[in-house]
Amino acid sequence: MEVETTVKDSKSPNFALPVDSEHKASVFRLFSLAKPHMRAFHLSWVSFFSCFVSTFAAPPLLPIIRDDLNLTTTDIGNAGIASVSGAVFARIAMGTACDLFGPRLASASLILLTAPAVYFTSMANSATSFLLVRFFTGFSLATFVSTQFWMSSMFSAPVVGGANGLAGGWGNLGGGATQLIMPLVFSLIRDLGAAKFTAWRIAFFIPALFQTLSAFAVLLFGQDTPDGNFHNLKKSGEKPKDKFSRVLFLGVTNYRGWILALTYGYCFGVELTVDNIIAEYFFDRFNLKLHTAGMIAASFGLANIVSRPAGGIMSDAVSRRFGMRGRIWALWVVQTLGGVFCVILGRVGSLGASVAVMILFSFFVQAACGLTFGIVPFVSRRSLGVISGMTGGGGNVGAVLTQLIFFKGSRYSKETGITLMGIMIMCCTLPLTMIYFPQWGGMFCGPSSTNKVAEEDYYLSEWSSKEKEKGFHEASVKFAENSRSERGGKVDSVTSRVDETSSSPNDV
Amino acid sequence: MAGHGLLLASLLILSCFAETSFGTVYFSSLQRTLIVTASPKQGQVLKAGEDKITVNWALNTTFPAGTDSAYKTIKVKLCYAPASQVERGWRKTVDDLSKDKTCQFNIVARPYSASNKSFEWTVERDLPLGTYFVRAYAYNSEDAAVAFGQTTDPHKTTNLFNIEAISGRHLSLDVTSICFSAFSVLSLFGFFWYEKREAKSSQQK
Repeated sequence: MEVETTVKDSKSPNFALPVDSEHKASVFRLFSLAKPHMRAFHLSWVSFFSCFVSTFAAPPLLPIIRDDLNLTTTDIGNAGIASVSGAVFARIAMGTACDLFGPRLASASLILLTAPAVYFTSMANSATSFLLVRFFTGFSLATFVSTQFWMSSMFSAPVVGGANGLAGGWGNLGGGATQLIMPLVFSLIRDLGAAKFTAWRIAFFIPALFQTLSAFAVLLFGQDTPDGNFHNLKKSGEKPKDKFSRVLFLGVTNYRGWILALTYGYCFGVELTVDNIIAEYFFDRFNLKLHTAGMIAASFGLANIVSRPAGGIMSDAVSRRFGMRGRIWALWVVQTLGGVFCVILGRVGSLGASVAVMILFSFFVQAACGLTFGIVPFVSRRSLGVISGMTGGGGNVGAVLTQLIFFKGSRYSKETGITLMGIMIMCCTLPLTMIYFPQWGGMFCGPSSTNKVAEEDYYLSEWSSKEKEKGFHEASVKFAENSRSERGGKVDSVTSRVDETSSSPNDV
Repeated sequence: MAGHGLLLASLLILSCFAETSFGTVYFSSLQRTLIVTASPKQGQVLKAGEDKITVNWALNTTFPAGTDSAYKTIKVKLCYAPASQVERGWRKTVDDLSKDKTCQFNIVARPYSASNKSFEWTVERDLPLGTYFVRAYAYNSEDAAVAFGQTTDPHKTTNLFNIEAISGRHLSLDVTSICFSAFSVLSLFGFFWYEKREAKSSQQK
């Protein structure tokens, strides 16, 4: 019997990067394409980027599309809401799919199945058809979950925040890049002689093709885990096939997932809303040219190149000193400041000040997104996908809610809507104070001093004793060991905390 | 005669001051001294890119002579009727002419002359679907609007015509969309089938 695959051999095959016991990379080298870790990173952010480009390809061209399809403000508002509502459930479904089938197949399938919606956008001829294509295109935003899942599978605790932040941030960049790309492509096609109303239709082929090609790349060059694809690992017995109902149940009954879903709605959700309304806002309020409004709107999304990764890196940096408690505090501070700048954005009346405040606002709001996914990988190990999906889905719910409440119809002027949205951000960030990890603590409380909960207790509680007998929980054991760094301070994995938590030192 | 001239001159000077000192021109301050007519009849539907409109404009002779002495240029524009402005803030009528979005398309701009003027215009290909009327503005040498005329009544209810826009769709585009979509979906299933085949053959080895 030949064992051809290297996965059986627990003495790790040569990885290009240093790895931990789970073969997750413990460093992050941005300019490397080494398989499997860095290659997975680049594949995931590029494919996610393409989905963002497609989903937000319509907003910068709305001044043309609204005339072609004879849209009213309500039609535009409804389509905007539709574009982000599809992904609410798609993200949760994607989370489960990642847990069961692996991020590579899950994301590539979704991307290829939503590409037709982007192609069909060029055929839209009414408010209804426009809404439908934006709705189905928006499903592709669920690839966010697969990027975070993939990064959490490839990178270990000290760098997972940064990896998640970079993959998410550079993908989100698509929302900004599209505001530049689409008007440019449109101008090019129109200058070649096409009528305005034809040029925008042709322009949509660019994001559609990009999306299709990136899915092919993921399928051809990607790999689910450092040890191989789910399919092969299941066959070789290394990865036991998990029970869907159990995975889902554990995910939805973890209250921390729900709190993060809510708060993510007010950083990421707000980011999506702004992607939808900001170009029209600048075009109409300051009487700018389409191209100029597009550039300003783009700079909001383009800030993602640094802001979201900065959030993730900040989360990792804070965790080194203060552990999980630091991660939660940092998220609360940054997201609340995002709300403050949102309020100010709605109040300033001059173009220069608006742009400046918008950039500050974008930095804080996007950093908050990065900080959120510095916490998500630790909420559950068995149901990582479901938790990521819930949080991601919550982000989209926030986008739907904010657009419904503040930007549909003519109830509020856009400026007032923006200010009120800022106030809502500040209120909906407060629930972070309620997150508590018994092994590490929460914002206001230290780790449980009465029960002396260790990381293993938390993560292994997800497995029943029967499952443990069969050894299904092995991966969680390794993860628990590796997550001890979330205690913060200069702590060795063997010694226990001796600061404010325990009143009397115990034998370890 | 001299008294008339003096009165008129002072009125004109004052009106110039009024506009230059505030900087903004309000539509409600403009006098409707021009008569503008256009060839489309009430409710007529014109095709964008194909049909033509003939516009005529002239000074309304019931106004005293010399009313038009400040007029330097005439700009004739195509304007949205209220039906096409409903729920569309980007076409809103605002009294401040610098912010007004009612008339977004230029038909013709000519130096002003007192005699009857006429122009034949082919409806532009890129015009959106909607209900329209025609308005002409008279500008003075500082390029500020001083008078206007329009084909419809002050409430913009009569003599409106429709323009039918092109959809921008082409059969070739539609076919290409469908082909590429089918390709995306089929390639996904093709890939699954290929992987299954690989797995089977590696099991057999």
